[in-house]
Amino acid sequence: MTDVLSSEVVVIGGGVIGAATAYFLCKEGAEVMIVEADDLSSGASGACDGFVSLQTKQLGDYLEMARESAQLFPPIVEDLEVDVEYNRCGGLMLARTADQLKELKARAKKLMAAGLEVEILSPSELKERLPEVSKDVKGASFCADDSQVNPYKFTLGLAQKAQEMGAIILKGCKVENIVVTNNRVREVDTSVGSIHSRRVICAAGTGSNQIGKMIIVDIPILPQRGQILVTESRERLLDCIVSGAEYLGTKANLAELMPDGEEALKLGLGFTAEQTASGNILIGSTREFVGFDNNTTPDAINAIAKNAIDFLPWIKDLDVIRSFAGLRPYSPDGLPILGMVKGVKGFYMATGHAGDGISLAPITGKLISELVLDGETSMDIEPFSLYRFK
Amino acid sequence: MDDLDQAWERAVDRAVAVVACRERIPCNPCEDACRKGAIVVGEDICAPPRYDPGRCDGCGNCVAMCPGMAVFLLDRSGGGGKARITLPYEMQDAVEEGEEAWALDGAGETLGKGKIVKTAKMLKKDATILVTLEVPEEWSLKVRGLRVRVMSLEALQELEVPLQEEDRLMCRCEEVSSEKARAYVKMGFYSLGALRRFSRIGLGYCQGRFCQTMLASELQAATSRTPEDVGTFRVRPPVRPVKLSRLGGEDD
Repeated sequence: MTDVLSSEVVVIGGGVIGAATAYFLCKEGAEVMIVEADDLSSGASGACDGFVSLQTKQLGDYLEMARESAQLFPPIVEDLEVDVEYNRCGGLMLARTADQLKELKARAKKLMAAGLEVEILSPSELKERLPEVSKDVKGASFCADDSQVNPYKFTLGLAQKAQEMGAIILKGCKVENIVVTNNRVREVDTSVGSIHSRRVICAAGTGSNQIGKMIIVDIPILPQRGQILVTESRERLLDCIVSGAEYLGTKANLAELMPDGEEALKLGLGFTAEQTASGNILIGSTREFVGFDNNTTPDAINAIAKNAIDFLPWIKDLDVIRSFAGLRPYSPDGLPILGMVKGVKGFYMATGHAGDGISLAPITGKLISELVLDGETSMDIEPFSLYRFK
Repeated sequence: MDDLDQAWERAVDRAVAVVACRERIPCNPCEDACRKGAIVVGEDICAPPRYDPGRCDGCGNCVAMCPGMAVFLLDRSGGGGKARITLPYEMQDAVEEGEEAWALDGAGETLGKGKIVKTAKMLKKDATILVTLEVPEEWSLKVRGLRVRVMSLEALQELEVPLQEEDRLMCRCEEVSSEKARAYVKMGFYSLGALRRFSRIGLGYCQGRFCQTMLASELQAATSRTPEDVGTFRVRPPVRPVKLSRLGGEDD
């Protein structure tokens, strides 16, 4: 490509965060170019489940943001041409010990105080929502606000809609350098040519560290591997998304809810199950730090399978047709990194969502769009500043 | 002179039954069917029927009653090198007098065309129709069945509608047609993996064993790239479907 490209805003990354950000920018009439090294949802957004879960979010600012995000889903879903298989199905979190249940109860109170619809279910009440659950399950919390979506289709739908509103999507286009002069972003050099732009958004997920280096800023993102099993497609067997209390433990670093046993701890094992619109059940998952290795491993596959059978004994008769692993962009505290960097005007970060990219994409897109176009945001993003780590 | 020769001779003047049953099987409806006592099975129900063509009046009851379809009527009285064979017919389709039908031998092979000259329902409660077929006399003792609707053989070929492109499945597991696949490719996918995720082609039970090359070549053509550049689906364990219980270590 010999043409000199230019765009008001360049979004680096064609994952769900980049697509959502482009969508909101285009809604405001901005000129947007998405630069994607591979294809839409080729990173974490293409290797995850479709949980849009609220009860698993860390309490406080983060939960508040997640709630705002959840409320943005229905209007966005309505607006997209693609059926993104959004389903407000509710979510169950299962406790296998009295201590876990006690913890879930305490948490439910706080979640309700924050405005969520949560109820604690006794084993017999649970059976109505989840028949044939293991007898070892002592109870559960049910959050009616939890939902599910097809992450690839959601990403595609957002990107397509942005494209329809004028966004240009460059695929197979690698960012090689970001030119900064007089403390301002001027240009993005890519494998297909240079793009003049004064505003650049880093929505590069696990590639954010690399992008940060180009402007000499340390964006502390580590790839965190999550492995998931896929079963054959079956009739409707799960009416809601399901997780085990340990999933919350490993996600939010809650000592009381950590999994038992050395191997489970090492793998960051936590049970999740979701039946997709296509009928397959996605069973998760792990949280491992193994660099950029996104292979699935026999140890994890066996551990995930065994763990799933412990919760849902009937699941043992299903065929597993595939496993996959995604690398989640993990920041030191597991929360996203949003906002500007000091000393480089026009550079914005929308990254580090770890396993919450799908559920946080709408609010992230909205807030970053506001920040880029108006210089201020409708919600305080200071808690998610890069500088909280220093 | 055995019963077959006798029947052949008697058929010069009138319709007469030919009993082609030589099996030792427990079966005797033919005996009950014959009002003239021409067919006798006797005490030993497994014995092949003893048949006296001299007593047969050609009523055809035995033809309709024999569950093994081993009896037919032969009538050579019309002359002219033709013979009329009356066969039981149990298919549901309509058999019209005057139509042509294929005469079949005992192995189901086609002898040639005959003409349906008579159809009759013999017994009120029996669905069996007796169809009388006029055939060349030399086939008289070979004809054991018929296939009606001569036209249907030719018509069948016309009926074979060429498969429409939109019906041709690329991915059988997820039931995605080739036409739909091309529409997905046109949406501008760059990587085979992304195309797979959105189209669901190759995400089903076989994980792309059959459709992968087809999808890859569509993408190669659309993006003018080499097979190496487009690549293949990423193969992930367990490669072939395996019960979760085996992965969970419950079964050996």
